[in-house]
Amino acid sequence: MKIDRRCFLSLVIGGAVGTTLTPVPWKLTDDIAIWTQNWPWTPSPEKGPSVYKKSVCTLCNGGCGINVRTVKGQAKKIEGQADYPVNRGSLCPMGISATQHLYGPSRIQSPMKRTGERGQGKWEKISWAEAISTVSEKLAELRSRKKPHTVACIAESDRGTVPYLLQRFLTAYGSPNFIRTPSSFDAQEQALYLTQGRHGTIGYDLENAGFILSFGSALMDAWGTAGQMLSASADFKQKNKLIQVEPRLSDTAALASQWVAAKPGTEAALALGLAHVIVRDNLYNKEFVDNYAFGFEDWEDENGTVHQGCKSLLKQYPPKKVAGITGIDKGTIESLARKFARAKRPVAICGRGSGMVPGGLDEALAVFALNALVGNINQPGGVTAIPEPDYWPEMQRDKTASNGMQQPRVDGAESDRFPNTRYLLNRVPEAINSAKGESPIQALLVAGGNPLYTMADTETAKKAFDKIPFIASFSTYMDETAQYADILLPNHHFLERFEDVPTPAGTPTRVIGLTRPVVEPRHDTRHIGDTLINIAGSLGGFIENAFPWENYEAFLKQTLTKQWDSLEKQGYWVDPEFMPPAWEKAFQTPSGKYEFYPSQRSKASGKDADALPGFRQVELPGDPEKMPLTLMPYASARIAGGAVANPPFMTKTVDTDVIKDGAVFVEINPQTAKKHGLSEGDAAVLKTPAGKARVRIHLFEGLMPGLVAMPAGLGHTAFSDYIAGKGANVNALLTDVTDPGSGLNAGWGIRASLVKA
Amino acid sequence: MTKQAQHTKTKRYGMVIDLDRCTGCGACMVGCYAENNVPFRKDETDKMLSLNWLRVFKVDNGKPFPDTEVCYIPKPCMQCDGRHMEGHSPCVSVCPAVATDYDEPTGVVSQIYTRCFGCRYCMAACPYHARKFNWWDPVWPADMEKYLNPDVSVRMRGVVEKCSFCYHRYQKARDKAYVEGRDEIAENEYQPACAEACPTRAITFGDLHNPEHEVYELSRSKKAFRLLEKLNTNPKVYYLTSKSWVRRKADNYLEGESPADRKPAHKAETASH
Amino acid sequence: MSTQSDNQPVPAENRASGWVIFVFFLIGLIASLISGWIAFPNLLYSTQQQPIDFNHKAHVAQMDCSSCHFFRDDGSFAGSPTLDECKSCHMYPMSNDPDEQKFIEEYVKKDKEVPWLIYAEQPPCVFFSHAAHVKGADMECRTCHGDIGQSTSLREYQENRLTGYSRDIWGYSMLRLGEAKHGGRHKMNDCAECHLKETGSKGDCFQCHK
Repeated sequence: MKIDRRCFLSLVIGGAVGTTLTPVPWKLTDDIAIWTQNWPWTPSPEKGPSVYKKSVCTLCNGGCGINVRTVKGQAKKIEGQADYPVNRGSLCPMGISATQHLYGPSRIQSPMKRTGERGQGKWEKISWAEAISTVSEKLAELRSRKKPHTVACIAESDRGTVPYLLQRFLTAYGSPNFIRTPSSFDAQEQALYLTQGRHGTIGYDLENAGFILSFGSALMDAWGTAGQMLSASADFKQKNKLIQVEPRLSDTAALASQWVAAKPGTEAALALGLAHVIVRDNLYNKEFVDNYAFGFEDWEDENGTVHQGCKSLLKQYPPKKVAGITGIDKGTIESLARKFARAKRPVAICGRGSGMVPGGLDEALAVFALNALVGNINQPGGVTAIPEPDYWPEMQRDKTASNGMQQPRVDGAESDRFPNTRYLLNRVPEAINSAKGESPIQALLVAGGNPLYTMADTETAKKAFDKIPFIASFSTYMDETAQYADILLPNHHFLERFEDVPTPAGTPTRVIGLTRPVVEPRHDTRHIGDTLINIAGSLGGFIENAFPWENYEAFLKQTLTKQWDSLEKQGYWVDPEFMPPAWEKAFQTPSGKYEFYPSQRSKASGKDADALPGFRQVELPGDPEKMPLTLMPYASARIAGGAVANPPFMTKTVDTDVIKDGAVFVEINPQTAKKHGLSEGDAAVLKTPAGKARVRIHLFEGLMPGLVAMPAGLGHTAFSDYIAGKGANVNALLTDVTDPGSGLNAGWGIRASLVKA
Repeated sequence: MTKQAQHTKTKRYGMVIDLDRCTGCGACMVGCYAENNVPFRKDETDKMLSLNWLRVFKVDNGKPFPDTEVCYIPKPCMQCDGRHMEGHSPCVSVCPAVATDYDEPTGVVSQIYTRCFGCRYCMAACPYHARKFNWWDPVWPADMEKYLNPDVSVRMRGVVEKCSFCYHRYQKARDKAYVEGRDEIAENEYQPACAEACPTRAITFGDLHNPEHEVYELSRSKKAFRLLEKLNTNPKVYYLTSKSWVRRKADNYLEGESPADRKPAHKAETASH
Repeated sequence: MSTQSDNQPVPAENRASGWVIFVFFLIGLIASLISGWIAFPNLLYSTQQQPIDFNHKAHVAQMDCSSCHFFRDDGSFAGSPTLDECKSCHMYPMSNDPDEQKFIEEYVKKDKEVPWLIYAEQPPCVFFSHAAHVKGADMECRTCHGDIGQSTSLREYQENRLTGYSRDIWGYSMLRLGEAKHGGRHKMNDCAECHLKETGSKGDCFQCHK
């Protein structure tokens, strides 16, 4: 038998024929087709029942009610809580994208201590026991040297149980230096105290107002509670009830029925000019002004000295003069004043931008005077003082603590110079940098906010921080300030923790919201309240006794026993008894009336003009010759301007003429651009007395000539690769301009030059 | 018989966006990205490579200060019906893989990622730039995979993606109706994430064929228009504006030609029936 | 070693005879048939056993299918029961069954979900509406899943090594002929075929894809 290659061929042919008679080719073709459509490395999210959980967003002080869709214990989507009394189902883009922060790479995953230089980013993981003993040893040491008052604590809010625990801790420990981060509400709350004698948040009933005159408030870009304002916007639009005073055609100005482009920084003059017309034409609410107000007419004190009243002060602000100051023509001022005074339930609001941009006291007082003239205090559609939470338990403290509490505050707040100002974080860098010898702050607890990003002139602030020997941060994220700390004691993410959220600034009802865990804590983090209880425990003595609770949750439930049922069931509690008091009972000022002449304000100088609201031109830093332009930050709902940075989803929404390829665009009027030889898209260097930044040019007709507008919230240097290094931080280009009467930062802008790069 | 029954049930889901109400806050965009597992990159300021299903554009009237006006235009996929209302939309007609198709019962233009092989012909055909291509495999750093929505497929590199009017929400609403023994779903049961997220209630969504739905009247209002109507793509996304300059921006008008000269959007539709 | 040039014919006596060639053909044919019909399916599919055995018949005697395989209020289908649902009866043993013992020891006590292998699991790009079929079209479970309710033991799970899909998607018959064993055969064409027959249309892409 011969076997040759034909046999072999035959075998192959037999095999081939056979194979076609098997499923192999057909099945394999199909399977390979499927195989090419499989991407096993792309995630396929786990299915399961959807469970919705109610909570409150605390990414900013707005405090919107949220409803979180979870599947198998993981947060999937954040939506507004429809019945929440503050935001009524609406939510800003930041709130919606909070899941990106929860699961993102910016989280601090465990307590850590610094191993390299400050800000170098070298950390070593430590245990909670070590972290707490490190902090308490440092604090114990300062206390034993009788220097408890050299400890300071920065927080973003001074209301609610967590800020309260921080204040209680400092009080028991012996430091007066609890400092809230600055916002435009500093000036408004002080004005509220001076005119009404009440400490509290300010509530504007915009929903029921018939006419809203906004002095530069970015209602559509995160002023007050973003969700609340956005949901009210349709109503503003439909009823043509919003007038916006602002030098830039912002989203709010675009929505307004009238855009009044006053020169920046002249808002107080405009408000007084309007008041002038209202008083001159007898359009004010006589019932209120005659019976419930003090200091409208000239008045005589017990020594027989005659003081100037508001009415005669206003004589200094005739429309013609105001037109010269503000750049608004006389006719517009006259008609605006009449429209305001004759409208049903008019209200004037202030607080520039998203409220992050501070402001002087005069502006707030001038705007408040407008409201008082139309008698909208505690009326539907008007202005109301919402009382501060007052449900705190008693405590005792030792002598060291009492002595420490007697010491002056490091920021100069509540001093003889600034008696009515409660917090002045803007003055802390100078206090440290100008101190002879060791820093007046020996230990800093950063329990909220992100001062090394949000403070004006961040370089100077950083220099001051350099002199503080010990900085502890409780931040959830590796933000700019945490990056500059010595030890990190990370708080849970807000979707992982309990916390109460009292009435947000701007909201006209008394409400408490409940933030509660939506997901299990993902990392080795600890609730800041528990961390404080732990630190107090290891300090011992009176401090330990001031924190008798097993944990924060126990304290929270005990404090809010009355409200707990409602908080647990609905996610919020609305004070059923809260009614804005009638005019007879509303004012707790020395005169018992609404004070057009804030008698408490004049203590320092004694001059009437210093007490009454007035227009005092803020001298912006910088040489007008070398820096012919004026830089102003602007707020955008698509860019988070506060402590917590934009997650990637938010940055995705930002337009190409705001940021592109890592470069921020500043807006200038085409006319100004021409004068400076700049055109659309040009790269340029923006220089101010505080620093400089590389920017690109966007021409925008909607901006007043001579101004440079830069978005706030970009240029982060920390968090993660997904957030850092995009654009420039406008805060680093601004400086503090101290308001002489209040110490608040009145610097709404800064001189700048813009040169083509 | 079944065919007949189906035809009478045919819906044409559409959207009416009131530009007078939109404040450009961006909640719709973020709501969409979070709902639809839209991937992101390390540098989202690199707008050439940034991927999205919905963008809000800012336009202005070009007048000098202080007579300037601005307007925001949110732009999802237009879900074109095509010239003769038979689903011959620009992208569907060119897809060589039937990866994108016209969903007869709802009028939504579907995109099936596993079917797409990434030729990007549809992107070239789409006059609205509604389609985006995945040049890279998406990456979710840290634990970010955990927030992905199981109702929406995660895409992979090499495929085109676009707005689906949150079709998965329609599927879910239908499921609920089946379980409750209903044939029809209510207007509020199927709302895309953007419409739901819009805090100013500028986005209205519903069946353009159903007189009981809000969009029916709105899309027929005098203020209604669509983008690039001259192309006869028959989009199902309508816009409302009271400003004539906005209207002018929405299409290429000849000198002297006014948007008011054109017949209202719905007339064009009924005429072609 | 031949020194002849290639184009010279090979003498007949040196060639293999016809039947030898035929035998080789048959060998090739038979070998490929055997490997294609027997070896190939075994190679293509890996076989796994379910983590614990389950007696559907015993359960169905006491309750409805929908007690465990139910619709949630939002219309979604729950699929296999979770540990919590099983625990509502099986917190403690109800019989002497060794699989139940194992279930309680290894899953209930350790609070661990049972990693059931799902025979009819569809790929992630598929949206299958149980509601539309069971509630909308009044179909029975067995139409697609076979008579699993009457089974006393769980069959083995086979997974396609190439696609990663369950064998039930293609079906047990390699040529997809005849009645589907266990009711299984869940490829897109199978859906389309049935839809064409029942509704007059194969359906649109989005009907079942996401």
